[in-house]
Amino acid sequence: MMTLHRSLRDERVWSFALVAPALLTVGLLFIYPLGFSAVSAFSAEEEGGWTFANFIKAFDLYSNDILFTVVIVSLSTVLIGVFAIAIGGYLTLGENLYAVAILKWLYRWPLFIPFIVAAQLMRTFLAKNGLMNNLIVGSGLLEPLQTQSFLDWRGIVITFVWKQTPFVALLVAGAMASLDRSMIESARNLGAGRLRILIEIILPQVRPTIVVALILSFVVMMSVLSVPIMINAQTPTMLTVDMAFRINAYGDYGVANALGFISYLMTGVVAWIYLRHGVRQGGSP
Amino acid sequence: MRRVALTRASIAIGLAIGMAGAVQAQTINVLTAGSQNMVDYVTDYLGPLFEEQNPGVTVRAAGTGPGDAGSQKIFEKLDAQMSAGSDAWDVDVAVVHQKMAGQMREADLLGSYRGDIATGELVTRDTAKMALGVDVDGYVMPMFHSQTAIAYNPDLVPDPPSSYEELKEWVAANPGQFGYNGIKQGMSGVSFVVGWMYAHSGQEDVLSAGPYDPALKDGWGDVLAELKSFNENVTFTPGNAGTLDMLNRGEIVMGPVWVDMFYTWQADGRVAPNIKLKLIGPGMPGQPMYYIVPAKAANSDLGKKFVELATSPAVQAEGIVKKFNWYPGIDAVHVEDSLEPADFEKLFADVTPDDLASKGKVFPIGPFFDDILESYERQVQN
Repeated sequence: MMTLHRSLRDERVWSFALVAPALLTVGLLFIYPLGFSAVSAFSAEEEGGWTFANFIKAFDLYSNDILFTVVIVSLSTVLIGVFAIAIGGYLTLGENLYAVAILKWLYRWPLFIPFIVAAQLMRTFLAKNGLMNNLIVGSGLLEPLQTQSFLDWRGIVITFVWKQTPFVALLVAGAMASLDRSMIESARNLGAGRLRILIEIILPQVRPTIVVALILSFVVMMSVLSVPIMINAQTPTMLTVDMAFRINAYGDYGVANALGFISYLMTGVVAWIYLRHGVRQGGSP
Repeated sequence: MRRVALTRASIAIGLAIGMAGAVQAQTINVLTAGSQNMVDYVTDYLGPLFEEQNPGVTVRAAGTGPGDAGSQKIFEKLDAQMSAGSDAWDVDVAVVHQKMAGQMREADLLGSYRGDIATGELVTRDTAKMALGVDVDGYVMPMFHSQTAIAYNPDLVPDPPSSYEELKEWVAANPGQFGYNGIKQGMSGVSFVVGWMYAHSGQEDVLSAGPYDPALKDGWGDVLAELKSFNENVTFTPGNAGTLDMLNRGEIVMGPVWVDMFYTWQADGRVAPNIKLKLIGPGMPGQPMYYIVPAKAANSDLGKKFVELATSPAVQAEGIVKKFNWYPGIDAVHVEDSLEPADFEKLFADVTPDDLASKGKVFPIGPFFDDILESYERQVQN
């Protein structure tokens, strides 16, 4: 009895020792900065004490940017979902083996390109007299004067979608490939078209994977600074740019942290969906 | 027994060698805030030159990033070492922006050294004494002076506007042809906005010299509303480099740029050779970059020596003017003798010394600067 007790206790000590590095990392690099920035967002730098002033200023100056960020990231998430499902669907249901092989080889490339490099590529690609428009003009489809620059909100959306679609498609295609083929075959035997099979048979089964992958993409896009700062010269712009500006131009961490807090709230909402989803799926999100 | 003695002897020898090495090999740490070209200037030119003249000394140079963000990092590094009570800070020389030099002075992070170096008396400009309203006399040496001006394509605009007022009419008549980078994408856009405020508010003197009056910004509504309607016909560019890129691709025909960056790009073939500069009236701001030696730099003597070399007429001529197209930090008369007349004139071809004297402005003092940027955010952008 005693030995059993002791071995149980030993085991506990060991298991704690094993997770300690991870806990410490999370605590030091995530929980502590998170708490610190939340405290800074609610405290008055000069007078001391607690205040909502940072939030009032954040809404006063950046309300359009907050809205813009939500719209851009949500729109990008929807488009990423559509493209990822299309890619995954074709990889699962495509009949031309060559096309499937080429798509399989091609679609993952953007995954290996960092956001800042993607932004730099798009900056010269999407400009008014950039590579894309030069190709279109060169092929005789447009006159030079009819071209327009995509270096605005559209540029951000294009870059986000281009960069994040492979990530979601990778997860979704994997989930689709592991489905039981017999159901797809029987639907096909009964005369269902490929689009109908995708929407009515495959999608409902891989929905949890899609939701999780899209939520992760949403959170990643919320945190990207390089893409909006390099591509979007217009106003409004995204919150990350405002946070950087608050710190670099004014040394004002209070309002920057307030903006950060607003970002947490947005990602918090999707994280909540993620967790609810995970719990409903039996605790393995 | 013998073995122990041997070990001891070898430890002693090892220590002696180590200490001798410590005496001979010294390292000075130089931090540079600013774009890559400024970091290159220290790593590729100034550092090796200093090492050559001071055998045994290694210059360890690092860049902290462009714009005010880079200076902010240096400030935070020094501030942290001061708060920690350290007596030997690991930064011996730093290159910082004007705004931050004032802030560092106020936080007692700077050492007074201009009187200790031989080149200290070669600079008489105001910028060596005041940094945006803060008295920094003795604490800084200007590395170079930089200036913004309007770049334009003379083939398409043979007769460019010569003042903000004329520019406003020109932009209304040619929508989309003028481009600048707002205020969040680099200092050339900020400079353009500050010039607009000087031109239209009639408050240039108080904005650039103080005293600070928090109520002043309440009267800027009309000036900023005018800027907002001006912006409707403007193409926004992604950054200082973005303006030059768009000029070069022919997407805009006019826009504010940094003079040094413009000439460097033109020399590299990244800006078409026909594009020219014009400093429009009543004027646009420019700024110096400063060499500072932190108050408790571990190797402050070497740091001072480094700045002395960096601000000597020969280095200012060869490095600052000839290689990097900046206006010299020390007075131009001292540099002129060390330069070929052609090199000296090239720098002052589009923007003459008279233009610089009459239309080269300074940025506003710190609190007004913040007010201008924030009012722009509030009234023009949101």
